[in-house]
Amino acid sequence: MSDLHFRAQVPVFDANVRIGDRRDEVSAVRNRAELLAEMDRHGVSRALIYHAQGEFLSPLDGNEYLQHWLDGGERLEAQWMVMPTAESIAQVKAAHQAGVVRAVRLYDTRHAGLPFRPWAYDELLSWLSECRLPLWIALPDMDLHELLTTLQQYPDLVTVHVGAHYSHHLWVRPLLNGLPNAYLELSRYEPIGGIEALIAEFGAGRLLYGSWFNRYAMGPILFYLHRLGLSEPDLKLICAKNLERLLGVSSVIS
Amino acid sequence: MIEGIRVIDFHGHTGRQDVIGMIDNPTLMLHALDRAGIDVACLFHIFHPDGTTSNDINARFIASHPDRFVGFAYVSPLMPDRMVSELARAIDQLNFVAIKLYPPYTPWPIHDERWYPIYQFAHERALAVIFHTDHFPTNRPRFLGEIAPLFPRANFVAGHAGNVPEARAEAIAAAQAHPNIFLETCSTYRTPGVIEQLVKEAGAERVLFGSDMPLMDPRPQLGKIITAAISDEAKRLVLGGNAERLLRI
Repeated sequence: MSDLHFRAQVPVFDANVRIGDRRDEVSAVRNRAELLAEMDRHGVSRALIYHAQGEFLSPLDGNEYLQHWLDGGERLEAQWMVMPTAESIAQVKAAHQAGVVRAVRLYDTRHAGLPFRPWAYDELLSWLSECRLPLWIALPDMDLHELLTTLQQYPDLVTVHVGAHYSHHLWVRPLLNGLPNAYLELSRYEPIGGIEALIAEFGAGRLLYGSWFNRYAMGPILFYLHRLGLSEPDLKLICAKNLERLLGVSSVIS
Repeated sequence: MIEGIRVIDFHGHTGRQDVIGMIDNPTLMLHALDRAGIDVACLFHIFHPDGTTSNDINARFIASHPDRFVGFAYVSPLMPDRMVSELARAIDQLNFVAIKLYPPYTPWPIHDERWYPIYQFAHERALAVIFHTDHFPTNRPRFLGEIAPLFPRANFVAGHAGNVPEARAEAIAAAQAHPNIFLETCSTYRTPGVIEQLVKEAGAERVLFGSDMPLMDPRPQLGKIITAAISDEAKRLVLGGNAERLLRI
């Protein structure tokens, strides 16, 4: 293949894909077939997907819409949105009892004035800890002090922090140092040499490839990971194996 | 080099903003360029409105690796009396090859006549001028459409190609209307389909690869071009052919 083209050289499991339309934005892919075609174009074998409506309007509705995109776990794994209300927690608990929940993503309540504090989130965070379900949290929605002090009260909870941007440059090390069970998703992490520095400091085992497609293009961060000069085992960890371990699923198609 | 193309990054900085991880360490920058296959990075320093201080800092940085870095001159209408003389010094004595302007540091939109002496200088020397563009009042790309025909020998580059959809549409429309307007690709918003849109609607010969290094690592920004669904010929123009022509380097 020409160097003017790119396709992943290791198995890839994208840890952060949003599907479906927002109310004010049309998705770049319209259905499962188009999503799979985009994944194929970049060499992405599998993706963890959540629905845009669950992120911006209703976790309950979003989780329902998400079901139409799934393929029985062959290439697309569901990520369930959740918020700290009885109805939302009950929906995810029921799905978990049915054996279809492997990862959960936090709906942002801070924009509505409900902070990320134990008094508001204890039921949800305690249940996730007990069930060993990993929780995805979008960093742009959070306050770092609140995030750290709350999560430190749930030491068994595994969290994946999504969307660290250069504007979060000063957050990343306190986060990874303060939360031993925290992982960093890399879709927006672009400080120069930043990923190499994190690998040197924390190891490849704490990092996950995510594109945050369809908010961002799927290929550029994957291309970047292939231009870090990583050992093949480290590249495989970041591109798929860390996520497989978190979700408890078998290896992706190579 | 990528496939025999001399890859030129049209948008880079010197200077530090530690709080956001922008560190102009030449070792880090060269490492990233080498890993990506980028041959030349265009750099500017934009933190001193007198121009002279910034340009001297930039020149010292570039002198450490003159085979890999080229300089763009910076001036500001906050100190209007210095603009033209400093541009002449930066181009003639420091060997800089183009001009960078950062309108958000001023209260004046880019079509305000306070900026005109810079454009006149660029017109007389047939230089490229790159602006930060987005949707904020001083930086609207549509203003390029007003100044480009007044200074036809200058080439105007919309840095970030407007950055967001509404401003990007303005940038494309300006480029369609005027042959001396170009669009540069770096952006923290790596929205799907943007590179394809720029190439399709403005033409590959009007699009320039840029990264915003060291605010952002050049590798994912290069990845936007490499992974875009555009032709190989378009990639060759965007990655280096257009910049070579524009900068005459």
